[in-house]
Amino acid sequence: MVGSKKRKGNKAVVNIVLGIICFIWLVPTLGLFISSFRPAADILQTGWWKVFPHQEWKASDDVIRLSKDVDLRGPIEVNGKTYTDAQLKAGVVEGGKRLMWENRRARMISVQTEGWVTKSNLTTENYKNVLSGKEYKLKKADGSETVQKGSGLSQAFLNTLTIAVPATIIPVLIASFAAYAFAWLRFPGRKTMFVTIIAMLVIPLQVALIPVLKDYTALGLNGSYLGIWLAHTAFGLPLVTYFMYNFISQLPKDLFESAFIDGASHFTIFSRLILPLSVPALASIGIFQFLWVWNDYLVSLIFIGNQPNVQVMSMKIADLVGSRGNDWHLLTSAAFISMLMPLAIFFLLQKYFVRGLMGGSVKG
Amino acid sequence: MKKKTGRKLSTLAVLGLSFTMLVTACGSGGNNASPSQAPAATSGDQPAATASAATANTPLQKALNGEYKGTKVTMFGPFVDADQVKFETSIKDFEEKTGIDIQYEGSKEFEATINVRVDGGNAPDIADFPQPGLLAAIAKTGKVIDLNTVLDPEKLKSNYNKSWLDMATMDGASGKIMAGIWNRSNVKSLVWYPKKQFEEAGYQVPQTWDEMMALTEQIAKDGDPAWAIGIESGAATGWAATDWIENIMLRTTTPENYDKWVKGELPFTSPEVKNAVEIMSKIWMNKDYVYGGTKSIVTTAFGDAPKPMFENPPKAWFNLMGNFITSFFPENVKVDQDYDWFYLPPIDEQYGKPVLVAGDIYAMFNDRPEVRAVIEFFTTGESIKSWVQSGGVVAPMNDASLDWYQSESDRRMAKLVQDASTLRFDGSDLMPGKVGAGSFWKGMTDYVSGTATLDQALEQIQKGWKN
Repeated sequence: MVGSKKRKGNKAVVNIVLGIICFIWLVPTLGLFISSFRPAADILQTGWWKVFPHQEWKASDDVIRLSKDVDLRGPIEVNGKTYTDAQLKAGVVEGGKRLMWENRRARMISVQTEGWVTKSNLTTENYKNVLSGKEYKLKKADGSETVQKGSGLSQAFLNTLTIAVPATIIPVLIASFAAYAFAWLRFPGRKTMFVTIIAMLVIPLQVALIPVLKDYTALGLNGSYLGIWLAHTAFGLPLVTYFMYNFISQLPKDLFESAFIDGASHFTIFSRLILPLSVPALASIGIFQFLWVWNDYLVSLIFIGNQPNVQVMSMKIADLVGSRGNDWHLLTSAAFISMLMPLAIFFLLQKYFVRGLMGGSVKG
Repeated sequence: MKKKTGRKLSTLAVLGLSFTMLVTACGSGGNNASPSQAPAATSGDQPAATASAATANTPLQKALNGEYKGTKVTMFGPFVDADQVKFETSIKDFEEKTGIDIQYEGSKEFEATINVRVDGGNAPDIADFPQPGLLAAIAKTGKVIDLNTVLDPEKLKSNYNKSWLDMATMDGASGKIMAGIWNRSNVKSLVWYPKKQFEEAGYQVPQTWDEMMALTEQIAKDGDPAWAIGIESGAATGWAATDWIENIMLRTTTPENYDKWVKGELPFTSPEVKNAVEIMSKIWMNKDYVYGGTKSIVTTAFGDAPKPMFENPPKAWFNLMGNFITSFFPENVKVDQDYDWFYLPPIDEQYGKPVLVAGDIYAMFNDRPEVRAVIEFFTTGESIKSWVQSGGVVAPMNDASLDWYQSESDRRMAKLVQDASTLRFDGSDLMPGKVGAGSFWKGMTDYVSGTATLDQALEQIQKGWKN
């Protein structure tokens, strides 16, 4: 009895901690989501939480006009009391009302009362600009204006998908072959090769950029999909191989032995036994690799560039803000749109994902 | 293009990736692969195109005759989005007339990427550098083509103010070279103000620095802080402060001293520089003069800073910034009516009316006849005409007519540049990156935010030269 109570208590603690962590993670996301529906000017002026009903000082019709030649740097007399300029700038509460500059130049002070306010000035303009492209106004020689429509995210979305899907499948497949060989085949140099691959994990990919770029230039692979698939494959392979090795090496040995005795070749064992058995691991490392490629900016920047026909989402989104960052507010909605695909993949594969995370952790 | 990709594939098929079948989807994918291949191969395709710039038939004329029809020239530069649209509009006519396809690629990460591309042997045919200091570093490696061998120097002299040509002359691998040509410029000695309310309030545009300070005090007495200042700009926070220092330097010391300072011969700790920062501090460090107070300068984005000027009534009145700031102004305000600019007044009579400019210098990396034609095209005002018409840039070429400018404001700007007694380029863009885009930004930010005293900040900036 006592034991189960204790367990229940533990569970509550865990749930509360999890709840807090979830809350901490979700609040910024929620804030971003709400901001993505707000006009830029509003985002600058007030926080996103102000869209919810809240108490705030509101200007009433009551306005105090002081004489035009009141010296703002000296004490300022209002209704028989004196305040400093700084006080009036920040607002002073006096008997349930707040005095604050309305127009300092005209020496006008507004008398504010507290009340419930909702600043729900929401718009879908940000999403429109991101999805279907911004409109650029160009003045012509005769002074007339033409409107030129920019491109939306759809082309970049397709490009990213074209890159991300093969750049996920290729390394996962190669790594599974390799992991099987490392785990179950006996060949000379196996350990050395495996250690070499694991050692690759610590090499930052940045150091490889220029050498690889030189080779790509010689091969004519720059700016082509093939080039970036290979780049992502190479950069992703060590981790994926390691992960798949951990999983595949834990599969029960008897299974392969009986298959082998029945006359199955390595390829049959791999395709009929290993692959179906490692679906959870494949799915979870697949998600990892997909997310990495989907969110990648650096590798695309170097190897594929910014031509509209190959440009990926992350680069297109960076460009959306303009040469000098004047359209920063579009990042909010663009971030949400770019999140959709990873979210969809995650929810689709989530049951495997959880199983896969434990892959290799429990000895069979 | 498709065929080429196919050929590449067959060689790479060795890799045994049977699923590369998907590659057919990328028929148009390999397009910035080809131009960087040896120029010899391309000119071999076109035996007629071995012209030298010296003949009367310049590459540009040949191009206009359609000799380079169907060729491609790749360009890489920092403008994206609206600027990219404007740029592409301005070259459209040329592309149609000559049949040369200029493939422009814009990147927000231009500064970081161009070095990687050049080192990786994947340089674009033409690159657009907003920071000549960056080009100077690449020119030293000898990878930039000397435009003196490509373009007619006489023509350049007649079409550019000498200051521009001097600024384009840099150290090559062996001796001085003309590393690039100027195509787009902007002016940085402008103080923007809300014109309508300014006139209604009865203020006069100041002609001297003292008048400006008096007006600042007057506005403070009237109830507003005069200046809207913001230097926040993400990783580049602090650059807006460098524009102030450069402007004041030009107004308090000789242009020669300015050049020395930019080259690192006059240290930041010298009295000239210190004096400039002190003059700036008289505005920046006075909480009655700055909207939001001194503390807000570091946290206000440079693009958001001018916004209080357009509230009704304005909460701030002046914003010192280059002409590109107009793209941050609210959409409903009109140039010449709602806002205008005045020239940041001189401080010391003897230094005249210096103008601080910035701009884009185009450098050539691959020598092919069609690239020569395109770079020659960029030395003509025609190449930027439609951009000038749509506003926001000033053409540095002399053959760009003042009539092209659609607003009085832009026209005055162009005239300011053409008539300038002293024209100097934004110093921080000329200094090596570790100073001009490093310690200078950071030192100014530390000084303004109060984490360093003036002397500490200047020493810290000066240290950037040694690292």
